[in-house]
Amino acid sequence: MNTLSVKELTKSFGANKVIDGISFDVPEGCIFGFIGANGAGKTTTMKMILGLLPSDSGEILVCGEKVSFGATKTNRHIGYLPDVPEFYGYMRPKEYLRLCGEIADLDSAENNRRVSELLDMVGLSEVNKKIGSFSRGMKQRLGMAQALLNEPKLLICDEPTSALDPAGRKEILDILKRIKGKTTVVFSTHILADVERICDRVAVLHKGKIVLEKAMDDLKIQHKSKSITLEYESEVDSDEILRVLGDNGLAPARVERADISIESLYLEVAK
Amino acid sequence: MKAFIAFTKKEFTESLRTYRLVILAAVFLMLGVMSPLIAKIFPELFSGVDMGGGLTIIMPEPTVMDSWIQFFSNVGQMGMLALIISFSGIMANELSRGTLINLLTKGMKRHTVILSKFLSASTLWTASYLLCLAVCYAYTEYYWPGGVLHNAFFAFLAPWLFGEFLIALLILGGVLFGSYTGSLLSCFGVIVSMLILNIFPAAQKYNPIVLAGDTLQLLNAQKELPDFIPAAILCAASVVLLLALSVVAFNKKRI
Repeated sequence: MNTLSVKELTKSFGANKVIDGISFDVPEGCIFGFIGANGAGKTTTMKMILGLLPSDSGEILVCGEKVSFGATKTNRHIGYLPDVPEFYGYMRPKEYLRLCGEIADLDSAENNRRVSELLDMVGLSEVNKKIGSFSRGMKQRLGMAQALLNEPKLLICDEPTSALDPAGRKEILDILKRIKGKTTVVFSTHILADVERICDRVAVLHKGKIVLEKAMDDLKIQHKSKSITLEYESEVDSDEILRVLGDNGLAPARVERADISIESLYLEVAK
Repeated sequence: MKAFIAFTKKEFTESLRTYRLVILAAVFLMLGVMSPLIAKIFPELFSGVDMGGGLTIIMPEPTVMDSWIQFFSNVGQMGMLALIISFSGIMANELSRGTLINLLTKGMKRHTVILSKFLSASTLWTASYLLCLAVCYAYTEYYWPGGVLHNAFFAFLAPWLFGEFLIALLILGGVLFGSYTGSLLSCFGVIVSMLILNIFPAAQKYNPIVLAGDTLQLLNAQKELPDFIPAAILCAASVVLLLALSVVAFNKKRI
């Protein structure tokens, strides 16, 4: 069964056609990577799925129910993490999550249980300062907690990692990995490395149309790589390697010397 | 209903922690104390002052009415201004900052937001106004015991009703313009239009702005109740209409 189904969706802002008849399905339990450049229409699509923006034509089904603009009925199935989640700065994290739980109609005992569970999961259980003084990464993690509070069937994350430092990115991706299988996730990004790390299925949005939609595994088989990366423990003489390869009839078409990965270096020193 | 209660609780917490409650209470307490005090002290300060050239100011002995003149003019001007500034952001700030998105995507109905905000703002305004009125009444009674007031209930109800009108107006402005400035300026715009309209004597009977201070004339029996009833009915109807419009506009609003 598909948790989310988008059919022939269209949206224009004035004369500008932002979304041009896109269709895709997100099967249950899958992590769906929604890839596209800034301004490709990812946020617009997500807001239409949430009923925050009206569509011009087409149909969106969440757990088999039709989404209509302004009404929030289908949102009970959905958890949403906006690209920059905004909170009431004068509240503390526990207080804020309780408010969310009450609004999502959780009963009091269930609410308390979920709140402490999720604060634990996103690593904020020891934090009791006001949200106003949170860092961006902390806000993103609190945003993740509020999105997962009512145990949604579908989690929609709008560029959850784009504004974060590498450590913050890793934390968010780890949380997504942890809920994999239990919750269906649609997650938009322009960071392709994140997609590779966690997605089962991807769709590429370009100029308002979906130009590619495939399961990650199929994608890897079909577009089999013509390149390999070699890594040595110590410094090597690349000419020597090329000579050995050439002598054995394996001369590559292109050679590139890899620089040190700043990301791995950063994660190493900022542990 | 649960969402309504939870959100209203949040509104009160917000008023408390962002000092809105303290500021409103302080301003209206001050107005309540000041009005009778000014009425009492002002003539004493200037009485007998020699202006030179043999001119001496002679002030009449202040009466109970002088205290209420101060009350209506202070509440009608400074009080309303404090109210407008305090509540300009209640709807607008949530929209400009995007803080409602998390809550609306949890299934909270949009009209819940409007009604809850109106209820909490009204409660705050009612409490502030009652505080001001009670303090002013107590001091007035202390300085000039046993004063007679005509149509007191309606005379004092009128500024409160106009305050409710302003709150509803600020909420609609916030929904329509989505910014603090938009909410503030649209409210001032409506008030200025009402003041201009008030130049025409025919309009005065129906103009809600007369409720913001003119009902003083009821207290000293210069005017009668029927002179203000049409404006009061129109004002109450406007509150309902403004709230209904806010709900409709908010339902159509892209967030």
